[in-house]
Amino acid sequence: MMTPDPASKKVTPLGATRRVSHSANQAATDARYWAEQMAGVAARQDTDCFMRIYDYYAPRLLRYLLGLKVAAPQAEELVQEVMLRLWRRAGLFDPARASLSTWLFRVARNLSIDSRRGEPSWLESKRDLDWLDQLGCDDPASSAESFTDHAVIARAIDALPAVQARLIRMSYFEAKSHSEIANELGMPLGSVKSHLRRAFARLQAGLKGVQ
Amino acid sequence: MTQHHLDSSTLIGYSAGALPRAFDVVVEAHLSICPACCEQLRVAQHIGGHLMSQQQGAALPAGAREAMLARLSEKEPVVPVPRPPELRRPSANTLPEPLWPYFGETYGDLRWRTIGPGVHHIRARDVQDGHLMLLRLAPGRSVPMHSHGGNELTMILQGAYDDSLGHFAPGDVADLDGDVEHQPVTSPGVPCVCVAATDLPLRFSGRLARMLQPLFKL
Repeated sequence: MMTPDPASKKVTPLGATRRVSHSANQAATDARYWAEQMAGVAARQDTDCFMRIYDYYAPRLLRYLLGLKVAAPQAEELVQEVMLRLWRRAGLFDPARASLSTWLFRVARNLSIDSRRGEPSWLESKRDLDWLDQLGCDDPASSAESFTDHAVIARAIDALPAVQARLIRMSYFEAKSHSEIANELGMPLGSVKSHLRRAFARLQAGLKGVQ
Repeated sequence: MTQHHLDSSTLIGYSAGALPRAFDVVVEAHLSICPACCEQLRVAQHIGGHLMSQQQGAALPAGAREAMLARLSEKEPVVPVPRPPELRRPSANTLPEPLWPYFGETYGDLRWRTIGPGVHHIRARDVQDGHLMLLRLAPGRSVPMHSHGGNELTMILQGAYDDSLGHFAPGDVADLDGDVEHQPVTSPGVPCVCVAATDLPLRFSGRLARMLQPLFKL
């Protein structure tokens, strides 16, 4: 790396601590910090702000895409495309609507799906983050993510029973279908789904509680 | 209004990009008419974003950072990305928009193929992952008892049916896994048209039903 990474001082070191209250509060601080960096990119095309986001999120996006079984060279290219999209469309980013991590997650997911289908136009396909916003389900009162939501999610995930936490992680990060998870864990498909359902309900209830 | 919604486990899979393509299509068809499920999807994406940011990163290849910086000075593509046109609500004659690439826009233009008495279908081409089809069942009939080797996600587009899980009307989804055996009975009046995604062939039970199996090849 060419420059020291200023973000790393402010962002929770990964897996470093299990002190829940600390990491939960940290999650809210992080979300606010990243919104500020995004504001710098949007207002001033600030390369330093952008590279702070890049240094933190690019390796994580790469890990996520590799988990989706995207081949490494293509995953590396997709990371660059996701970040480039962020650079070019920073003005459209609204931190009141979705956090930076949610935004990046959505874009990476959509680009990877489009690339998998091998459509030549995948880069500018309409299966973009804007798609959801057109569905009329854009009630700001109910769908906005606040910075405290991040603390709540962090706390709620830490509080999940081990089996539920494991299934949630497998679903998101190993891009496994529920049938594959069921096979791998020797668990009936119905139980996999009901564990996931319960985990989701807990996380959602946590979010509703703060609003 | 919609009574039967997407299972949250399905929305997690969708948001993570882990569903077979055929299921994504049915999920999107339902999302296009269901604000409640959109809201659930936002929660699923929020969880995904959070988990992604908490993961240990993977090592980028040498030179990636410099390559990124170099691309920042690239000129923007000449054509700015326009906001996509407003999503059109399905009308009495049009399918939900997410289905258009697979089946066309209007019910009137569908080319149904008969696969059994009172049963028609259209298979979507170009879906490599899973099976995607439209089904049209004559009114007031029962579909042979069947279960699903894997998962089945069905959205009702026209007409209605009843089974042990309840009454399914346009907009509703039946989000079923392999354990469920059901025997839908279509409502009288108009044919029941639905779009269904499956990952494995359906299994019919009973002798007559097994004879139908090769016809369905679902």
